[in-house]
Amino acid sequence: MNEVCFKNLDKENPASIATYEANGGYKVWRKILNGGFTPDEIIQELKTSGLRGRGGAGFPTGLKWSFMPRNQEGQKYVVCNSDEGEPGTCHDRDILRYNPHSVIEGMAIAGFVMNATVGYNYIRGEFMEPYYRFEEALKDAYEAGLLGKNLLGSDVSFDLYTHLGAGAYICGEETALLESLEGKKGQPRFKPPFPANVGLFGKPTTINNTETFASVPEILSRGGQWFADLGVENSGGTKCFSVTGSVKNPANFEVPMGTPFSKLLELAGGLKEGRKLKAVIPGGSSTPVLPAETAMNMTMDYDSIANAGSMLGAGSVIVMDDTTCMVKTLTRLAHFYYDESCGQCTPCREGTGWLYRMLQRILDGNGKEEDLDLLLSVGEKIMGNTICALGDAAATPVESFIKHFRDEFEYYIQNGRSMVEEEHNLVEEEASV
Amino acid sequence: MISNEAKKEIDFWVSKYPEGRESSAVMQALTIVQKENGGSLNSELINDVAEYLEMPAISVQEVATFYENYNHKPVGKHVLRFCHNISCMLNGSDELISYLEDKLGVKTGEVSKDGLVSVKKVECLGACVGGPMCQIGDQYHEHLTKDKLDNILENLT
Amino acid sequence: MSDIEIEIDGQLVRANQGDSIINIADREGIEVPRFCYHKKLSVAANCRMCLVDVEGVPKAQPACSTPAANGMKIHTKNDKAKFAQKAVMEFLLINHPLDCPICDQGGECELQDVAMEYGSDVSKFNEGKRIVPDKGIGALIQTDMTRCIHCTRCVRFGAEVAGIVEMGGTGRGEGVKIEPFLTEGIQSELSGNMIDVCPVGALTSKPFRYEARTWQMNAVQSVARHDLVGSNIYTQSYRGKVKRVVARDNDSINETWISDRDRFSYEGLNHESRALKPKVKIDGLWQETDWQEALKFAIDGIKNNANSSEQFGVLSSKYASLEEFYLLQKLARNFGTENIDFRLDQAQLSNASSLESTITLSEIESIDHALIVGSYTRLEQPMINHRIRKATLNGASVNTINSKKFDFNYKTGLDVLTSPQKLRATLQSVLKAIHNKTNKDAPSFLSQVSPEDIHNKIADDLIESKNGVIVLGEHLNSNLDSIAITSLIEQIASAADLKIANITLSGNSLSAEKVGFMPDEKGMSAASMFNESTKAFLLMDVDLEYDFFDSKSAQDCFNQEDVFVVALSSFENQSLLNGADVILPMASYYETSGTHINFDGQAQSFSASVKSPGDSKPGWKIIKVMADLFELEGFDYIDSTQVKEQALQLSRNKSSFKDVDFENFDDSQITTHWQYTPYVTDSVTRRASALQKTNIGMIDSAFVSEATAKKLGIGNDDLYLGVPVSIVDSVAEDYVFVHTNQARKA
Ligand SMILES: Cc1cc2nc3c(=O)[nH]c(=O)nc-3n(C[C@H](O)[C@H](O)[C@H](O)COP(=O)(O)O)c2cc1C
Ligand code: SF4
Ligand code: SF4
Ligand code: FES
Ligand code: FES
Repeated sequence: MNEVCFKNLDKENPASIATYEANGGYKVWRKILNGGFTPDEIIQELKTSGLRGRGGAGFPTGLKWSFMPRNQEGQKYVVCNSDEGEPGTCHDRDILRYNPHSVIEGMAIAGFVMNATVGYNYIRGEFMEPYYRFEEALKDAYEAGLLGKNLLGSDVSFDLYTHLGAGAYICGEETALLESLEGKKGQPRFKPPFPANVGLFGKPTTINNTETFASVPEILSRGGQWFADLGVENSGGTKCFSVTGSVKNPANFEVPMGTPFSKLLELAGGLKEGRKLKAVIPGGSSTPVLPAETAMNMTMDYDSIANAGSMLGAGSVIVMDDTTCMVKTLTRLAHFYYDESCGQCTPCREGTGWLYRMLQRILDGNGKEEDLDLLLSVGEKIMGNTICALGDAAATPVESFIKHFRDEFEYYIQNGRSMVEEEHNLVEEEASV
Repeated sequence: MISNEAKKEIDFWVSKYPEGRESSAVMQALTIVQKENGGSLNSELINDVAEYLEMPAISVQEVATFYENYNHKPVGKHVLRFCHNISCMLNGSDELISYLEDKLGVKTGEVSKDGLVSVKKVECLGACVGGPMCQIGDQYHEHLTKDKLDNILENLT
Repeated sequence: MSDIEIEIDGQLVRANQGDSIINIADREGIEVPRFCYHKKLSVAANCRMCLVDVEGVPKAQPACSTPAANGMKIHTKNDKAKFAQKAVMEFLLINHPLDCPICDQGGECELQDVAMEYGSDVSKFNEGKRIVPDKGIGALIQTDMTRCIHCTRCVRFGAEVAGIVEMGGTGRGEGVKIEPFLTEGIQSELSGNMIDVCPVGALTSKPFRYEARTWQMNAVQSVARHDLVGSNIYTQSYRGKVKRVVARDNDSINETWISDRDRFSYEGLNHESRALKPKVKIDGLWQETDWQEALKFAIDGIKNNANSSEQFGVLSSKYASLEEFYLLQKLARNFGTENIDFRLDQAQLSNASSLESTITLSEIESIDHALIVGSYTRLEQPMINHRIRKATLNGASVNTINSKKFDFNYKTGLDVLTSPQKLRATLQSVLKAIHNKTNKDAPSFLSQVSPEDIHNKIADDLIESKNGVIVLGEHLNSNLDSIAITSLIEQIASAADLKIANITLSGNSLSAEKVGFMPDEKGMSAASMFNESTKAFLLMDVDLEYDFFDSKSAQDCFNQEDVFVVALSSFENQSLLNGADVILPMASYYETSGTHINFDGQAQSFSASVKSPGDSKPGWKIIKVMADLFELEGFDYIDSTQVKEQALQLSRNKSSFKDVDFENFDDSQITTHWQYTPYVTDSVTRRASALQKTNIGMIDSAFVSEATAKKLGIGNDDLYLGVPVSIVDSVAEDYVFVHTNQARKA
């Protein structure tokens, strides 16, 4: 456990440059600056490692880096996505707080590979503690001569700045993030063109997630194969999971890909006292919910979770127990997407509000029989028809919640109250008799 | 009016972006002037920022109304930004928010009579393993309980 | 150059790699529904109405933002495409008020049209519709934002075309509101185009409100006459009155845009001051009469008062039609006088014609540099300015030599401030710099000149440009040194190999020049007619307060007992009633057929859209009848087309400004330049009430520098010639720039 991004977590002053360097940090960067690594070698190692983007989509990082027109003239950029906002997700925050130098080194390496001399780390505006930590780390890295111009006498330069968000989940979407970095509303761009060709300030840009960048130095230091071997096929390495919800010890865990879900649950102390596992959202609020049995049989890697009917997403495991009302939970998620839709494209702008209002109406006891089919059909009409994946993210939970827990929804509509809460209260009443 | 100190702070952000891309600093500029103005913005400040960064005022207004962290009505000296999203909800954020509202005698979105605090429900703040949680100023307060909340409120001055 | 082949709905079509699917479909006549896409605006891909099925791609793709690639198979109407399109349509309608019966867009609404074809039957939405409060955006555009479908066309129009970012989308999600920042009203001179681009009834014409339903109106192709461009328009009329003007596409002229002046001036046609009946003044009292009497009175008056034909003078505004100009000069010349002029507002009239432009409208778009001299181009010639702006978007640079720094809707590089009296010196300095830099011998009159730094830089930019233009603007007209300045402009253009865009003359001036509506050597020009020698005048569409460079001497002249004035006019006002002896009511814009010659030399004819009100008659008919009554030869025209054909055979006088003698010029006086707001330039626009209520329409300031103000003893908000003073530092010294909607005062 905790072998890559969280590797210094148990050390004293894990965030300091001293701790980082003492444990092999900046070794790779120095090697690069001394001419010991070529961009192609780095891309090859990353491909071997099986590292896939940790921001949610899981796109192979080596492949992504190879797309950059690195020989194109003019400015190019590296951008780190530290906008972490997917409900249930909070491991990037800990990487920033406890291992900021790995992100810096990862971004610098990316800059070298892409021939980009400027990078920005976009940190969500509420992450002030991580921001200060990261700024301090930047200062130390500059002082150590590891950032700036003509580093260690080489012709490699890399300047790195932080940019702070101001509260918008959608800025986690990479093109919305770029817009936001340009001082605009965070409205996703349509694609193509992709950021690799037209990115920040119209220039070629590589954008990766915090954890993705943080993994890069260790991979290059210990070899792509080493990393790949930590995980399973198609899912190389380790992954940080945030385990939250009805568990005894909600926390972040970095475990090898392929770790059984049951093991992860155990690490988090198991379910809260007296509760039974009911459902799990394995990858953050945008991924489909799975019923308990399915979840207990899956392992935490891309393929297994996909086979179970969901997605690894951002690695945000939300655990629900037998007292969780699925109607209320789904309504809360629907509210989130309604609240966070950027409002640019029709199906999402209009559809998220429609979904939320219907669910809230059901929750208020005014549900109608045809509502469930209507919810599904509205979701279906949003799905795939929007500019960015937020539309899909809003429709996905609706579909999966109703699919797996339709009876609860029907009960709520018929009786105007929650089946789960009622059962639960009954049980408690009986117990107290 | 933007104070000279605030301008200096804004200039620090402006210096991070390429020439001609000063408007990248608009979000921080708004954050800075909002802070200076006691936690909220108004059209005058929007205009000032627009002028300072040489942007159309409507573009600044777009940014100011898009992002959640800008307030367009006066807020309390301390704003308790309470996460009510899924992980926090599963751990009792709703009850805590009600508790808070009762205790302060305000609804979410309102300012307490003494002007000291206002409560705002917000979406996931990226500290889900610490839920229920809230943000006050730069600080996160995690694993909240009623007792902890009482304690926090007592220490707000 | 088609390099790929794709298939749309089973039809093989050739296309260019990277062309958007919608572009190709449009070219092939394959219908794809759309709201946010607009051929002249950037792609936003936000409405999602144009979703089509691309084989092999799981999701439906927006046709507007998806580039075609070789071998692509696209279906615009299969189940997948239809499902997506219907879904989007349903989402668009759930929050739309569907108040079509009371909506001004009803009948021409893109949403309504597309909904007919792509909408599903009944929506199951019953959560309560959104209502959006309206801020209002000024006098021209009526907003009803509850109808807005957030396509952002209006926003993109502002940012990309108008060049003034005024509308935006505030908030987010379902709460996005398309609105301006404050409610001060839109500043752009092109704002009305937002009405045209808005696919729904969220933005409609304010003056048009409640006037008629769109389908009741009669649309006629026409041409706008307010400026040098001759933008193509449709007039739309109901019950014989023009109720609305909209743009008509013509890529080489106005693309799809028109200026607010072209769009909203029609309101003036229905102004209460219309001249409706022939009138004669007998013993100082006005009497309405019939045409026969009035004409007789007019003819007799002219004959009696002008003892010889040289005592007769003919004047016109620059807004008459080619035919009217032609006939009126013919009448004058056959009558035996050369006292003919339309250049009423010019200070210097010794040239035989204006400097010729050597560039076309669409060529302006591809210039790499412009030097603008004496012009607030954006307000003078909005569509020409728009072409310059397009060039700047492609990287062209613009420098200016102006007496005040103006708000252009593009960035200018070097702005040289020069008062009118120093303009000669400035241009000499620039010319000398060009000669120095290109190692050419400068003409002797430049021997004493040593260029200033900034003039050297201006010269550098001119020399370096490969495809540069020098733009000469309206300010020249009232410059007493205009001949020398024009000459210098021509010399600079030839020394630095530049094109010339002369936009000093506006309206239909090029028609007037074409038919020689000005005196030859024997005749008198406008200003010199107001001495004792002219005893009878025939005026066509002349406003005695606004139109003359020196309106006081004009009015004094007309008001004399022994001067007989016949006015062909569409309007009456007090000064006309004072000065004239006969008023012959004339048809105005859109009420008569005619021809306009534009900047490109293109003669565009138009027919009447509506009948003129009251007893008024088309100008060309009035002139013809007068000629007949004078018993002049050569006026047996049956229709105006014959007149036009004759007129077009004439060729414009060409003046060379190359070798003019530079007489000494006194540049020691403080000068005043009087620039009208664009909404008082002609008799109709001046009476268009909504335009007057806009920010541009209300401009009324005398700009002066602190030092000059001191010399003149004036301070902020004092009145200078009746105009409120505004002390600024962006104005030349020893100079007052009056920008106003008030009539010119000496
Ligand atoms: C609505 C939405 C929100 C997203 N939020 C985040 C986020 O908070 N952090 C993140 O790294 N990626 C987020 N993503 C994914 C990014 O768009 C992008 O795929 C990622 O930054 C790429 O980096 P990676 O390849 O390293 O994963 C989000 C995507 C969507 C559609
Ligand atoms: S899907 Fe939603 S968030 Fe994404 S662009 Fe469209 S409206 Fe914005
Ligand atoms: S006002 Fe009209 S043009 Fe503007 S966004 Fe709304 S619908 Fe589109
Ligand atoms: S759900 Fe509350 S912080 Fe993430
Ligand atoms: S027309 Fe293509 S998305 Fe609007």
